[in-house]
Amino acid sequence: MNRKNFITKSGIALGGGILAPYILPSGRLFAKTGSQKADHVVLVMFAGGVRQQESILGRYLEDSQGVSGAAGNIMPNLFEGNSPTKKIAYGTSISGMPAGSEPIPKLLTQSMEKSGLLFPEVKAQSAGHYVGLNTLLTGNAGTAQGLKVRPAYPTIFEYLRKHAGFSATDNWFIANGIGNSTPLLNSSNHKDYGLNYGANMFAAPVTFSSAGKEVLGNAKTYSRTDLEPMYFMKNFLDQSFALTQDQITSISNTDEERTRIKDFIKSVFAKQQSGQLAMPPVTDTGDAVNMMYAAEVLREFKPKMLAVNISGVDSCHSNFTGYLQSLHRADHITGWLWQYIQNNIPEMSGNTIMIVAPECGRNENPNPILDQNDWVSYDHSDANALRVWSLMVGKGVPNMRVGSEAQSVGRLTDIVPTIADIFGILDPVTNAGLIDPMAKSLYNRI
Amino acid sequence: MRNLNNYYVLLLAILALSGCKKEQHIGYGVENATVYEDKSRKTKKKNNAEYISILYTNLYQSAISPNQLYKTQNVLYSIGDQDVASEMLLSNYFNTGSIQMPSNTLMRQDIDAFVINTYKRFYLRYPSEGEKAFFKQYIQKNSAVSVEMVYTAFATSDEYQYY
Repeated sequence: MNRKNFITKSGIALGGGILAPYILPSGRLFAKTGSQKADHVVLVMFAGGVRQQESILGRYLEDSQGVSGAAGNIMPNLFEGNSPTKKIAYGTSISGMPAGSEPIPKLLTQSMEKSGLLFPEVKAQSAGHYVGLNTLLTGNAGTAQGLKVRPAYPTIFEYLRKHAGFSATDNWFIANGIGNSTPLLNSSNHKDYGLNYGANMFAAPVTFSSAGKEVLGNAKTYSRTDLEPMYFMKNFLDQSFALTQDQITSISNTDEERTRIKDFIKSVFAKQQSGQLAMPPVTDTGDAVNMMYAAEVLREFKPKMLAVNISGVDSCHSNFTGYLQSLHRADHITGWLWQYIQNNIPEMSGNTIMIVAPECGRNENPNPILDQNDWVSYDHSDANALRVWSLMVGKGVPNMRVGSEAQSVGRLTDIVPTIADIFGILDPVTNAGLIDPMAKSLYNRI
Repeated sequence: MRNLNNYYVLLLAILALSGCKKEQHIGYGVENATVYEDKSRKTKKKNNAEYISILYTNLYQSAISPNQLYKTQNVLYSIGDQDVASEMLLSNYFNTGSIQMPSNTLMRQDIDAFVINTYKRFYLRYPSEGEKAFFKQYIQKNSAVSVEMVYTAFATSDEYQYY
């Protein structure tokens, strides 16, 4: 080998050695093992505890309150079925009419059930909210998961960043508040994954609240020229302090990503001010507001993976009417988000899969708390609370109904391997050995 | 009875005399010194409330109100990347204009003193020779570097999150 060849080859080898770890955080150049089914996934964590009876089974007041002839579907964007015709209390209120008597018009031309893959009877692994949310994001039953701590097992965000090479801004979690440990769901504290691979997160109703505007809204817009020395000096200081892996308490973005996020926050405040935020036709709940900000994140970042959490239906503990209204609105805002992606984000339209699933169900038998309509309420602790459904719609998703009320098919832990399957990393995720051994990609349940 | 009185007077006199002792001045050769942090000993992470409160006091030289602290805490917690959150918070503070900090001219008049004071102000320690040299050279070579930029780098750095 002559000197020139030696220098050339050494240079390539050295360059490769330096660059390869940056191509994938894991250092793996060819991590994907399967074909990718879509470029984007949006997971709607239809949380708060949803009874099968009022959702997929379309029983409205017939089962829950024993009102004969009052069955019907109050989730027209998600499921097929005629609306109830008796004792309508789940809609919006019009002056001079009984409260809630005007159902919100259906947004989608055809329901997600009609165009997607529905598993109407799925087994949840927990009847609790936080463990249920953990299950949706980690694919692990999470029986030992504690509150106020990050998930013990890696989230789908971490799998995607580690095995598919996604960046931090490719992954977003939109939490519906800062209570109930929800902001901790953007990353686990697992030693092989953790915050280094976590997702970006906004608890949007807080970030973009009036307090958020007060604390962040007056921030200066620095030019790239201003930011460069700041980041240069900060990086010097951070390298000098050298945090160890277990000392990291926040996810981190590249300097470029951080700048983009800050610009985004400022742009949202500006849009708030000028009334330019896109929003669902009915925006009278915190869930709707959260969905509105999720749409903004989708529009700006076009993330490969975004999970958004809603939970208004949890009012069912003491207010059944409120629960029905929240359920109807959760359907409305989920349909709106899907429509928004198709109509307003060309980069994602036709190239996205949306997955919708509750984190747990609700009891079969009521508690004695009566609401304004004298309707009984429901908690979540019995076997009925382990009954849920899952729905998938979008690019290449077959139109099928798999299973029935009498024949349960699938587990809630299936969501993570399904997303992994969509992005072509099912094997590394399964081989990591950290998801429920009985979980399967929904594509493999058909 | 009289003898008894004399006895008590004598006893009191003895006690008083033996109780009084000349004050002794003992010196151990210790000189007064101001104690500063050592970065290797900073192992405890400030929680959000501590970080915000310390930062606010550092910049404004006055305490943050409980209501403001609560609001700020919640907003910071609502953002996944804490660097983003604290950078925006700082930038918001800098936009208020009432922060207590030296002027850019003063910084450039005596960069050495500025660097030392900045390390003491944010990190409660002196810079190492390497750190001092880095900042001195960087500030000298880059005329666009301002006090605000240096303060932002320090206040959002990892070390400032620890004590």
